[in-house]
Amino acid sequence: MDSPLPQFLRELGFVLLEHRGDGLFAFLSPQPAWLNSLWNLSADFHQGIAITEKSPFLENFLVEADAFWASHQNGLCESETWIETSDTGKEVPLKAIALQFDGKRVLALHSPEPQFRERVQLLQTARNALLEHERLQREIQKKEILLHCIIHDLSQPLSVMSVAFDSMEEESVSERGKGLLALGRKATDQQLSMIRDILQVFSSDLKASLAGMDTSEAAPNLLVSARTVHASMSSVFASKNIQLRLDVPDDARLNWQVRGESSRIERIFSNLLENALRYSPPESQVTIRLSSDSEYVRAEVDDEGPGLPKDLPPSQIFSLFSKGKEGGGKAGLGLYFCRLTVERWGGSISCESLPTKGSRFWFRLPKASAVEKARTEKTKPITAVNDKGSPKKKSHPMRILLADDQDEIRLLTTNQLERSGHSVLPVANGKEAFEAARRERFDVVLLDEDMPVLGGLQALKAIRELPKESVPKSIIALTGYNSEPDRARLQAAGFDFVIGKPFRLDMLERLLGGDTGAEPNKIAESAEPPKAQGSPFSNVLDRVGGDEKLARQMVATFLRDTPPRIKGIANAAQQKNGSSLASLAHALKGSVAIFGAVEAHEFSERLQEAGRRNDFGEAASLAKQLEEEIAKLEANLRGYAGRERSRATGTRSKTKRRHSGPKRSS
Amino acid sequence: MIQKKICMLGAFAVGKTSLVRRFVESIFSDTYQTTVGVKIDKKVMQLEGTDVTLILWDLYGDDDFQRIRWSYFKGAAGYLLVADGTRKATLEKALDLEERARKEVGAVPFVFVLNKSDLAEEWEIDSEAEAKLRSRQWTVLRASAKNGDGVEEAFMELTRKMMR
Repeated sequence: MDSPLPQFLRELGFVLLEHRGDGLFAFLSPQPAWLNSLWNLSADFHQGIAITEKSPFLENFLVEADAFWASHQNGLCESETWIETSDTGKEVPLKAIALQFDGKRVLALHSPEPQFRERVQLLQTARNALLEHERLQREIQKKEILLHCIIHDLSQPLSVMSVAFDSMEEESVSERGKGLLALGRKATDQQLSMIRDILQVFSSDLKASLAGMDTSEAAPNLLVSARTVHASMSSVFASKNIQLRLDVPDDARLNWQVRGESSRIERIFSNLLENALRYSPPESQVTIRLSSDSEYVRAEVDDEGPGLPKDLPPSQIFSLFSKGKEGGGKAGLGLYFCRLTVERWGGSISCESLPTKGSRFWFRLPKASAVEKARTEKTKPITAVNDKGSPKKKSHPMRILLADDQDEIRLLTTNQLERSGHSVLPVANGKEAFEAARRERFDVVLLDEDMPVLGGLQALKAIRELPKESVPKSIIALTGYNSEPDRARLQAAGFDFVIGKPFRLDMLERLLGGDTGAEPNKIAESAEPPKAQGSPFSNVLDRVGGDEKLARQMVATFLRDTPPRIKGIANAAQQKNGSSLASLAHALKGSVAIFGAVEAHEFSERLQEAGRRNDFGEAASLAKQLEEEIAKLEANLRGYAGRERSRATGTRSKTKRRHSGPKRSS
Repeated sequence: MIQKKICMLGAFAVGKTSLVRRFVESIFSDTYQTTVGVKIDKKVMQLEGTDVTLILWDLYGDDDFQRIRWSYFKGAAGYLLVADGTRKATLEKALDLEERARKEVGAVPFVFVLNKSDLAEEWEIDSEAEAKLRSRQWTVLRASAKNGDGVEEAFMELTRKMMR
């Protein structure tokens, strides 16, 4: 009995051709018109068709088909779709199947037009989507590069201004001049802060870093942040006759530690409060309210303004460039920054109109878990950090190679470093830096990241490849790209430290070990209070691993540098110069910590906070108390250093042997 | 009459079909139309006084949706390896395909075409990468199916290689 398959295939629209040998095929089914048109056949073609002459594709497929027929396997051998063009120019998709039945070698052809069109549409959509995705990725990449260039270019003039202010502060300037300098310094800091904000909002690098936990400090306390911002902004509210209240449950057992990072939490509070201030009428109140449950800490900012626009959903209020109905905001970045930051920390943020009047903006953050805290405590701060350890036995002065292509930066930084007693060789690009490092061994090499001829990274690589005895002890990157991922990138590239530009020279000084000695990272960045153990000199001796010479040098440096700092702190407190007060107190706090001066450390810290908050209520009194503590410390160190000097005489030769490193000349 | 089979090989949307259309029909469309399956064209060209019929196998772009069947290369005298100069990833893909072609069909003459040379501002394949290709003793040509630059030359150069 004949197989029912041919009939079945015919009904499905297949054309059946039997392979007769010698490359010729004969129809087993009626000739369809579309095939006649494609292969230019007459309607009643009864001779064998040389298929290989009609279709190069089938010529290729017949190799597979022949192998299939020869194998006498059951089943079938199917081609992919190919396209042939008819004499009218119409493109026809075709598919071929080789099979066997009733002892015949059969080629079944059909045109799967609808399925083919559907498949084309599907693949077209998929590939268009892939192309669009690629295009967007390229676009984002280009914008990020552009953004970094802009940020870099904006930062450069600030570098000049910042260093110029540093230099001018050391000149004899009239009181009025000092006030103007403080004003200039403040404006510079403000602009720097704005640049950082822009970078924070837009940089996908930052987004990537926020995707994980910020590990730059131990779990921050939301109550402390709220108090800080409340204290700093109360006067602004008062100036507009608006009362700013802080409403916190009176329960000491409550834990306010959250996931996040304190400076950004403070920025979130500031943004929400600025927003509330913008819409609050005079004689009204704005209230910061905190509450806590088992998993989250929630903060609310309530105002008594007009409430939210009815046609603006909360999600839109927190979107990019949203400016509210009256356009009262600035660039529309503030609330977007809040949302981005809170959500990256696993929290949420929203707003609503209050039942009677006003609006409520709120956010909540997950409480810091014990695991996270442990992880946070283990992680070192990333700013100006190296994990390889700092140059532990450092003495002044140092031989420093400075490479920066900007004349002003190079000139001023050189001047400052030389005033600090260092010997500096300034060069203008990475190539000159490499050549200098090849000729002479430096204690520290400062490399600008962006330089002509040879950039900082390339210069670093070249210097690192020098013979071991020529490699400097520390190679520090100076960079205008000052986001955390950028700093991490430069550290990963092999820099010992990374300093973002514009930088304060006191920071560089601390980094170079000027008055912090053994552990500049910790001293400069850590808020860890000192422990009062033993005498101040034994504390510092302990910190520098018993290196008496270095300890004495640190004492000498401290005795030399502290009086002007104390004077500066007193002046800043008197002139209500917050940034200067915070900066000087911060620097002094680091210095006294290494001597285990607990009281001096505490007063410095309080002054630093007062400076940051521009709260000068207690500043003068704190400065006075700090001065008294410092006086005690100085007296102790002077006396102790003298005793150590005589005691150390007998060990001088040992000390010298320990310092068999390169000679440092001033 | 001499006949030579040529395959077009490359990632999707690099312009294989456009190069064939420009070469065979002297036309170009700005709209991207993905190729599904195989399309075969013919073009007769003269090389040093000899007519050569090129059988052009325009193969779909190799990607996760459609994998190249190396059986299509049976009888091929050469192939054009095509990358999109404005998409660096297609260069990587082309290098991968060349390696696979070498394994599957042996040493077949080919010409490396960096298509879309008209889009100079979006060009992503730098001269260093191009020099690297040339350092492999490959023939590397820039072409534009859109304005026709380098298209004829690419097919001519491949034909020359195939006729050697």
